Order: sequence, then structure tokens, then C-alpha cells
Amino acid sequence: MSTTETANHVVENTVPVPDPEVLKSWLRDMLQIREFEVRSMQAYQNKLAGGFLHVYNGQEAVAVGCIAAMRHTDPVITAYRDHGHALARGLDPKIGFAELFGRIDGCAKGKGGSMHFFDRNNSMFGGHGIVGAQCPLGTGLAFATKYTDEVIKGGTSDSVTACFLGDGALNQGSVHEAMNLAVIFDLPIVFCVENNRYAMGTAVDRCTASGNQITNRALAFGMESRTIDGMDIIEVYREMKGIINQVRATTKPFFVDIDTYRFKGHSMSDPRKYRTHEEEQEYEADDPIEKLTRYLLALKAMTEEEIKSLSKQVRHEIREAVNWASQSPVPDVSELHHDVYADTWGDYTGTSLPRYMKPATDEDATSGEASNGS
Amino acid sequence: MAREIEFREALREAMSEEMRADPRVYLIGEEVADYNGAYKVSKGMLEEFGPRRIIDTPISESGFAGLGIGSTMLGLRPIVEFMSWSFSLVAADQILNNAPKMLYMSGGQFGCPIVFRGNDGAGGQLGSTHSWCVESLYANVPGLKMIIPSNPHDAKGLLKSAIRDDNPVFCLESERLLSIKGDVPEGDYVVPIGKATIHREGTDCTLVGFGRTVYFCEQAADQLAREGISCEILDMRSIRPLDMEAIIRSVKKTNYCVVVDQSWSFASIGSEVAAEVHAACFDDLDNHVHRVHNDDVPAPYSHDLEQEMLPNARKICEAVRSVTYNA
Amino acid sequence: MPIDITMPRLSDTMETGTIVKWHVAAGDAVSAGDVIADVETDKATMEMQCYDDGTMVSIVVNEGSPVEVGTVVAVMAEEDEEVGDAPSRPAAPATVPAAAQEPDPVVEPPVVPVEEPDVIEAGGEDVESKPVESAPAEPHLTMRGHVRISPVARRIADEHGVDLASLTGTGPMGRIVKRDVLAAIGITKETAAAVPPAAGLSPASPVSTSISSVPATPVDSSSTSMPIKASDIPAPSGYGLQPWSEPLSGMRQTIARRLVESKTSIPHYQVSMVFDMDPMVQMRTQLNEQLAQHDVKLSINDLVVRCCALGMYTNPLMNASWGGDCINYHGDVNIGIAISLPPERGGGLVVATIRNADRKSLRVINQESKELSKKARTKGLTIDEMADSTFTVSNLGMFGIDNFTAIINPPNSAILAVGAVQQKPVVRSGEVVVGHEMTATLSNDHRVVDGATAARYLSSLKELIENPGMALV
Repeated sequence: MSTTETANHVVENTVPVPDPEVLKSWLRDMLQIREFEVRSMQAYQNKLAGGFLHVYNGQEAVAVGCIAAMRHTDPVITAYRDHGHALARGLDPKIGFAELFGRIDGCAKGKGGSMHFFDRNNSMFGGHGIVGAQCPLGTGLAFATKYTDEVIKGGTSDSVTACFLGDGALNQGSVHEAMNLAVIFDLPIVFCVENNRYAMGTAVDRCTASGNQITNRALAFGMESRTIDGMDIIEVYREMKGIINQVRATTKPFFVDIDTYRFKGHSMSDPRKYRTHEEEQEYEADDPIEKLTRYLLALKAMTEEEIKSLSKQVRHEIREAVNWASQSPVPDVSELHHDVYADTWGDYTGTSLPRYMKPATDEDATSGEASNGS
Repeated sequence: MAREIEFREALREAMSEEMRADPRVYLIGEEVADYNGAYKVSKGMLEEFGPRRIIDTPISESGFAGLGIGSTMLGLRPIVEFMSWSFSLVAADQILNNAPKMLYMSGGQFGCPIVFRGNDGAGGQLGSTHSWCVESLYANVPGLKMIIPSNPHDAKGLLKSAIRDDNPVFCLESERLLSIKGDVPEGDYVVPIGKATIHREGTDCTLVGFGRTVYFCEQAADQLAREGISCEILDMRSIRPLDMEAIIRSVKKTNYCVVVDQSWSFASIGSEVAAEVHAACFDDLDNHVHRVHNDDVPAPYSHDLEQEMLPNARKICEAVRSVTYNA
Repeated sequence: MPIDITMPRLSDTMETGTIVKWHVAAGDAVSAGDVIADVETDKATMEMQCYDDGTMVSIVVNEGSPVEVGTVVAVMAEEDEEVGDAPSRPAAPATVPAAAQEPDPVVEPPVVPVEEPDVIEAGGEDVESKPVESAPAEPHLTMRGHVRISPVARRIADEHGVDLASLTGTGPMGRIVKRDVLAAIGITKETAAAVPPAAGLSPASPVSTSISSVPATPVDSSSTSMPIKASDIPAPSGYGLQPWSEPLSGMRQTIARRLVESKTSIPHYQVSMVFDMDPMVQMRTQLNEQLAQHDVKLSINDLVVRCCALGMYTNPLMNASWGGDCINYHGDVNIGIAISLPPERGGGLVVATIRNADRKSLRVINQESKELSKKARTKGLTIDEMADSTFTVSNLGMFGIDNFTAIINPPNSAILAVGAVQQKPVVRSGEVVVGHEMTATLSNDHRVVDGATAARYLSSLKELIENPGMALV
């Protein structure tokens, strides 16, 4: 259950635990991400997916919990381990698989791949391949919402950006620059560090100064920070809800150290020789999905049968998504010169939205917020 | 109504007019606000637009360039000033990896309407790290546009086009040109990106210039005219898209071409122009395209050495005489 | 449904993998996520995981055998499925070449026979190994058989037929550059700016001088006067005439040489006569009306050729050649007809031979003339078709020329220059009426043909032409 006795957090969290129905939807979302990743690995191994593949197994509570604490219109941006965030944001898994398979129905028409999941209708701003590079972009998103609200609309800032990064990104200059800018410009952004303990294959304490207490980084910028348990979705949600509310009100940035664990390797070719099997087993015993399952069983909100049925339903849905995506056509060669420039000149043929996208409606926005439990 | 104003004033007019017309446009960079701009380009803009739209930054190019790019994803249209393009190198990942590729990587979901502008090229004894000519390096990347005005009129018209463009546009200015004066119309007009202009008509040899090198070409053409060689000078104005049609038209007339490019020669705009001219004008050439570049060395500090390193009228004259078999 | 378990791709570069250890056996229960085998890839030994819950049915690929990614290595049955339902699988799929499964895993790269090196151009190091008939050293202007020349210089040279071998390049390494070609065709830098671009560069045809000496005959058209129409005259270009120099074609060189030889070595003189053409015009009209159904249309020239041939019987000296120490009388009457060539074939003219014209009907003469003329202007004539003429007819009537002189085509002794048939006031039976007349001028080699002989031949011709019925039979 929610453990709040971390070093820098002594105040009792007043955010209530959501209704069981909301918890059930989170379980479903986490199962969906897990199954998506398992089938992504399989697809990669079957050569349906190419390039690099970084899966999110074990970290599901972070994306689902953080995003549940946000409004659907609040921007989300992350690095290359991005499937979980995109799905938690509402990306249809079949669109995700189509992107993984390099098909025209993908969210980036097969031009982005695993590391570049974008979904404008769901305020998902990528999917970025260079470690830390998304952090200046994230401050730009926060700057833009604030500028739009205050300068263009003449009102008050009303959005919060969640900028996810890994512990490995903490040593990138651009991350420091982004945090500095966020502080001096009073930007409404939460730097959500998914501290999965490894920068690729290098343990955090081997490569990061004061790696055992990464919130010290925030201290240097005079930024408020907190460490939370990323394997417990209820804690993630309750802590993040409080933080997001605060940032929305103050428009001052916040740094969150979210303890989590990457069950799989950095990418698919990682034999994980840098850590022990015992360590892996220890964290696997702390599986966030099982933790929430146990909680729902204890609450008697769900039965074993219902959980098994939910699991089966999700697996069926993902299998269908894989089938659908593998039927999607590969992009026509004409796509090669499309989307390079917004306008048409030379060999370039302008740009257009991906097939699956249609303009977001108010209905989409509301249902999104409801399903996120806010 | 045209009047003579400085290059820097023309840039300022372009930005101010666009900012008045579109609240999504803002200016961000080092010393652009309180300091009135390191080169006084943004002088007075803080007073008119206030600190919410004229934004001083820390010395943090990667950070504020990335911030600008991120803000375009939500519809803003920033102007990011680099005090010098030399300093943009620390922001290379943002300006080369994110800005020009966002539209493609996102399959058309997120464009990047942003202008990066600042001084490019040797200022005058600034030494190697501060004398970068980034045009050849950066123009290599698809997804961005690049403009390089040579006079106040084009500076205003091109920068206004750039601010309205839905793509990332790199605007390369020269510290050495900021004080030159020229006729600039008051009020709104644009110079289209990707269209060269004939700076001077001639019959015997085509000189292709970019930004400041147009003036070097002018000096050389004056000298060569005394020798009976009539040069046609093209002011390219844009590097991407490059107006190859204008070059081809001229070379088909003169049969000779000299490119004057102030970046290094290896894999440069000069070599690109040469390759394109050789392909498009093969049967019209009486000699291979000659190129005048910075010497292939880091920019030296010492005055005479620096002058020797840069493209100049003497080198252009030599190239023209050589290409036209008058050496 | 049995589920195939395939060799997974475990790295971005992995093509084949070897199962070094199976952690499960047929009949074992497995769950999604279980590690079922260790796989050796190109990079490391990796775990192979199971993606479904169920029971292992069979191991298809044994430990130690490398197989390609995607090969079925085991089969399992799904959770609720009877194991017995799954059909058993044959072992050891042959997806990897047999050689790779041999105990000796070291596969030598295939031995590719070293190909013979390409023949190297003259001057190469292996010159001794080259066949003896290799090309001799090239002239200094060339490099591997190519003239050193700038592209635009080559283009202008091509457009103006400049022989590159005749040029000296002034560019580096003797490269022929634009100014060299322009100089060769008479253009200096001062005038170059006024030269219209490529397409407009064809200069006035220099054929004019030779036309006056060896005129062409329009054998495929009516020989009645065909004045040049205004529309045939090119509009002024705005540039005026340009000084120009055109290198000689082979044909022009031949024409020049032969005609200079003819005019300087043969003592020419001319005699002219005016012919009343009313009977021949009338007869031709009648004949052509009757022959129209056979698609035959005789020309005045056909009739003139026939008359010239028939005239030889009474004037054999006209059909003879100067032999230096003798006069050679020819047994055959072969009438040459001059044919002008179109500019696209380089202009100039040729003389085609109608052999034994004295023994050919008008219809045959007409047909041969047409064919030779067409062939000369398209494919070109063979030597045989141009050889052995004994007398030549040249006709410029279609240009409206009423009277001209021609240069003898050696070894002929005479040539008849035929003008246009013209309507004019004529005196007939003491009255001025409208009639048709034609002037023909005979050029003669005085060594063979004296004036009186020539006069007699013209009289014979007049007899035939003015009584054309005699030419029919």
C-alpha cells in the first residue's frame, strides 16, 4: 500500500484513494501496456518490428499513475521508452503496433518507429530518441501553455506539463539547462524521473553523482522535489495528483524521483549481465500489476475469475491489434518525400495528418479525463 | 515609402511588424531584452512588447533553443536569437535533430514554425571558435530552410517570410553587415524564400554569392570589368531551397561559373552548387566550376592572416581569370 | 491450436541462433514469460522466453544446431488444449544449409576465381601482355581516344560541323575551349554576344557558288517554272548576316576539287538555243492526262533527257571523252542528271546516271529519275548509280532560271544547262502570240567538240524537242 515515509515527504497525503472502478481501469491500462510490450518483444523477435525496441515492463504504474493524475489536455512528453505513456494517454494499441511494424496506419505513418510515438489528439508529444533532449522540449511545452493562457488569452496559466526522463538522462547537459530555464521562467512542468536504476547497463550509482539521492539535483536549482514509490500505482497517483495541483496553482516546476524497475533489458539485445538474477527476482516480486491486483482482491472489488477474464480480454484485444497492424500496408514510396516540409517545393510534397487522426472533439477530451479518474 | 535604414533596423522592423500582427510570435535569446540585444538588433523591442514576449535567457543555447522548438508543438512561433551562430553548436541536437525532423518523425502531426537567427561568419579577429560559418554544416539537413540576406531590403523581407513560414528557418546574418544602410520600404512586404536575385548583370562569367560574399563579388567584378571581363553576380539570398534555376539560367549564358562561399570547401554549399551546375549545365560549360572558400584552416586571430583566410576580391578575380582561361 | 515457437531475433543484427540449452522438455507446463531456452546469438547468450501459457508438445531443434531466425524450434499447446491434439512435428528442419550443420563449423568463404584484369589502355604497366595490334599512341590532343575539349566547345563544334582535329586548344593541357571553336568559325569575343544561341546558328548556305557551276535538277517535279514563294524566304532574324566559317564536308571537298579541275583543264565554251516548247508542253499535258490512271506524271526534264539521248545517234562526238592521245567514243548513252541534296544531308549535289537512256522509254526514264533522286536525298547513292555517265543534263528551271551555263562533269565532253519553260510573247507565223519557250546552253570541251558540232547537236535537239512525237518512239 501507499508508503509515504520518504525522506523529504512528511506531510500526510490528503488525496483520497480513488474508487474501485477507477482502480479497475488502471489495472486494465497496466495490463494493456504489459501485454503490448510482451507482444512487441515477440514481434521484434519475429522481425515484424525493426530497429531498436525498449520495453516498459515493470514501469507501468509510473505512466498510468502519473497520467491519471493529469488532465487529458496537459502535455506529456518522454524519451524513447514511450509505449506505456502513449497507451496510457489513450493511443489505440493497433495504431501503436502499426507504427512498430513500420506501417502507414501507425501514429507517425511508420516514419517514427518505437521511439517516436506521437499522438496529438491525446496531448502526447513524443517519443524522443536522444537521451535528455525531450527536456528542453518539455519546458517549451510548459512555456507554450503558460504563454497561450497568459499572453494570448490574457488569463491565468492552467496547464501542467509532465516531462518524463530516465535516471540516465540526469547527466545530460540539456536536462540541467531545461531545469534551470523552468525555474527562472516559472514554468508549470513536472520532471518525472523514472529511476529504474540503470542508464542502459550502468547502475545509477556508477554514473551519477549523489545517485543514491537524485533529488539533490533539484536542490541545486531550488526546485521542489519528492521521491515516490513507482511500483505502487496508488501512491504514484496520490503523490502526483498533489504535485500536479500544486504546479498548476504556482506555475513552478517540480522534480519527482519515481523509484521503479525495468524488468527487461535496456533494449532487446541486452543480456543483462550487469545485474544479478536475484536482484531481478526481488523486483519482479514487487510487480506493480500484481500489487494492484492483490489490492483489488483484498478490497473484494474483483474476484480471481474477473481478473483472469480481464487479463484474457486484454490479451485478446492486443492479439487483434497485432493482427490488424500486420495487415496494414507499408507506406507508399511517395511517403518518403512527404512530411519533410510543411509546404510543397522541389521533391517535397507537403504534409498531412496520419490516417487515424481526426480533430479532437470536446467529447474525446471529457471522456479522456473521466477515464483518467480526475 | 522607402528610406535608408541600417540592416539591423530592417531586421528589427521585420520582427516588430510580425509581432504586432501575430501574438504567437515572441523573441527569445541571450541579451535580447534588457541589454537591447548584443548587436542592438532588438533595441527598443522590450519597451514595446514587454518581458513576456521579449525574453532574456541564461547562456544556455541548448535549453532555450529546445524550449522554442517545444513551444511550436503547441502552436507558438518563436524567433530564437543566437548571439552568434558559433554558439549554436552546443544546441546542435535541438536545432538539427528536433526542429527539422519533428514533422517527419511525428508523421505530419507536429510541424516546427520557428526562426533561428544570429550572426554568422567571421566578425573580425574573433578567433576560431567565434568565427563559424555554419551554412554548409547545417544546410546539409533536410527539413530546415536557410536564408542569408545581403542587404537591408532583403533582410526585412526575408525575415518576415521566415517568421510566417511553417518550417524551421535558419536566418544567417553577418556582424559585418549590420551597420550597412539601404533602401527599405516602410510597412509590410516579403521577399520569398528560395528566390535568388541578379545583383549585377554580366556576360562573361557567373559569380554565385551568399550574404556577405556578394560584396566580395562586387569588388572583384569592378576590377574584372576594367580587364574586359563582364561578371554576372547572383545574390542567392536563400541557401535552402537553393534557386538552382537562377544559376543555371546565368551559366547557360556565360558558360563559366565561380561560387563564392565563406564556409570551408569540403562538402560545402560551394561543392553542392558545383555538382548541380555540372549536372545541369554540362554541355554549356567551358571549364569546370571554380570555387572560392575560406581557406581550409581554423579562423586565425591575427588580422592579416584572417583576411588571407577569408574569401576576398583578389581570390575571386584569380578564380574568374582562371575559369575563363585568362589567367 | 498448437503454437509454434520460433527462433527469436535477440539482437538487431542476429540472423541465426543456436540453442545451447533447453530448459524445458516435451510435456512440461510453461507460462508466459518463462525462460525456455538459452540461445547463442552473434552478440551474446540470451534467454529465450515463452509468450503463452500451456504445455510443451515437442522440441523440434536440438541443442547445438544453428538455425535461422524464424525457424520453428519447438511446439507448444495452449492452456486449455489437450496435448494429444497437437500433431507431432518432424525433427530438424533444414532451414540452414547442411554444410553449416556439419561437425566442422568453420565455413571457408567461397573461393572466387580472380578475374582477368581489364585490358589497360596504352601506356599501362602491363603493356607487354597486350595484344600486338593494340592502338598506337594517340595524338597529344587526345586522352584515351578522346579529344580534350570543354563541353560547351564540343557542343558548338558539333553544331557547326567543326572538325576537332583541325583545332588547336589553348586551354590547360591543350584543352579546346569555347574561344578556340568560336575562332575557327570566325567569331570573336566582340561579336560572340550577338551570336544567337545554338538553334539559331545555322549560317547562310554556302552552296550558292557551286549552284551556278553545277546546278541541281529537280527530277522529281515538273520542270515548268516553279518560282520561289515568299514563304520560303526565312524572315529576317534581326541579327543580319554574320561572318562565319564553315569547315568543308567531304562532298564539298570533292565538288571543289573536281570542278576546279574541270574548269581549269577543259577548254570550255558555250552555245545556246531557244526552243519552242508549245508542242512539248501540249504533248506532255495530253500524255499525263492519259497516264494519270497509271499514276505516272512525266516531267519536261524526262522528255529533255530522252531527246538528249536520241540526239547522240546523229552526233556521236557529243557522247565521247577526251583520252589524252585519243578520243573515246562510248557505245552506251548514259545521261547524268544533277541532283541537289537537302541541307539536312549536308547540301551539295550529286550526278546520278540513267544508263542507256536512248533505249529506255519515257516512262522508265521518269521512274528511274524519281527513284534516283529520292534515294540520293535520303539514303544516298551507290558508286555504281553515279558512275559511267557520258553526257549530263542540269536543270534549274524550277528556280525560275531562264538561262545559265554549267561546268562540264568530267570525263563528259558536254553538259546541257536547261532553263525554265516560260510563257512569253513569241512570233509565230509572223504574229506575236503567247507561247512557251525554253533556253538551253551547251557547255563543250573544245578538245572534243568543235563549235559546229555543238551547233549541229543543238539543232538535232531542236528537231526532237519541237517535234516531240519523235521522242516517243
